[in-house]
Amino acid sequence: MTSFRFLETGHGTAAFNMGLDLAIVEAVAAGAVPPTLRFYCWKPCAVSIGYFQGVRDEVDLDACAARGIAVVRRVTGGGAVFHDDELTYSIAFPESHPLAAGSILASYKAICAGIVAGLGRLGIPAEFAPLNDVVAAGRKLSGNAQTRKRGCVLQHGTILLGVDVDQMFAVLRVPAEKMRGKLIEDVKARVSSCSAMLGRTVGYPEAVTAFREGFSAGLGVILVDGAPTEAELAAGRREAAERFGDTAWTNRR
Amino acid sequence: MTGEFVGKGRGGKLLRLRLDWTGDQVDAVALRGDFFAHPEDGFEAAEAALAGIPVAALGATFGTELARHGVRVFGLEPGDLDDAAAAIMARAAGEGAP
Repeated sequence: MTSFRFLETGHGTAAFNMGLDLAIVEAVAAGAVPPTLRFYCWKPCAVSIGYFQGVRDEVDLDACAARGIAVVRRVTGGGAVFHDDELTYSIAFPESHPLAAGSILASYKAICAGIVAGLGRLGIPAEFAPLNDVVAAGRKLSGNAQTRKRGCVLQHGTILLGVDVDQMFAVLRVPAEKMRGKLIEDVKARVSSCSAMLGRTVGYPEAVTAFREGFSAGLGVILVDGAPTEAELAAGRREAAERFGDTAWTNRR
Repeated sequence: MTGEFVGKGRGGKLLRLRLDWTGDQVDAVALRGDFFAHPEDGFEAAEAALAGIPVAALGATFGTELARHGVRVFGLEPGDLDDAAAAIMARAAGEGAP
């Protein structure tokens, strides 16, 4: 089994969270650190948008400002996400790793096996739903986004622990066309959370334990506890200041 | 003329395509949406290469340019651009009809 470094970095700002993910994949690409799985959460809560999305298409910026919700553009594609009560993961490893074998869809499925396994440990039967979601009973619990940089895969995704759909859809603009063809076309009904599924609160610490085990079993990797290097932290802060916290980056589409 | 399409194509992800055109020529195209592509700068180069081509050649040119820049796209297919442009132009023709 391959060993991956495991980081649990707690809460961070939107800009720093995205900056550290980028710093980690750059460090993995440079061979400075091993393949890495990171867990984290967001404070204050935030909206992230996909690399190719138009910020004004997807986000009610006035509603975000009024609620103190940050907005950040990711380096990965995909859709807009409201980050509040959740566990977020990122994983970075060379494209030569078996997890990246085959098509992009196959690599999403291979990585999302860790989420499915983690949900199973919580008692939630779930499955991968192409192209890039994990669902339970037809409801989305996890969205995932992947890119490749300098010969490495970077995938990050959200696992909803609790969800306030009214708050979520007060800040996100979801066109009717996006839901067309989904089993559940009502966008609010299509989203759920671990807590809602289980009828009890699933907190972040419990989720970290369940999904650490889930990723290890689902991906067939040994997770070795570690910490970000000083160089990664410095690069993450720099990316946060110069890229992810810059409105020119956020507003570029 | 200018038009915008919002919808899902064969690639499966939401596409927002803004098309500016004169006659049968593309003046500019802007692609936004939920799709994935890497390397991102190669995608943007392919997008920029669509200005000045015939509207009918959008998908084929985009596919060629993506390949030229070594871009892998997930959730969007080059033919989705043709479908979106056709929808925009059909709507424009309908709006212009008596």
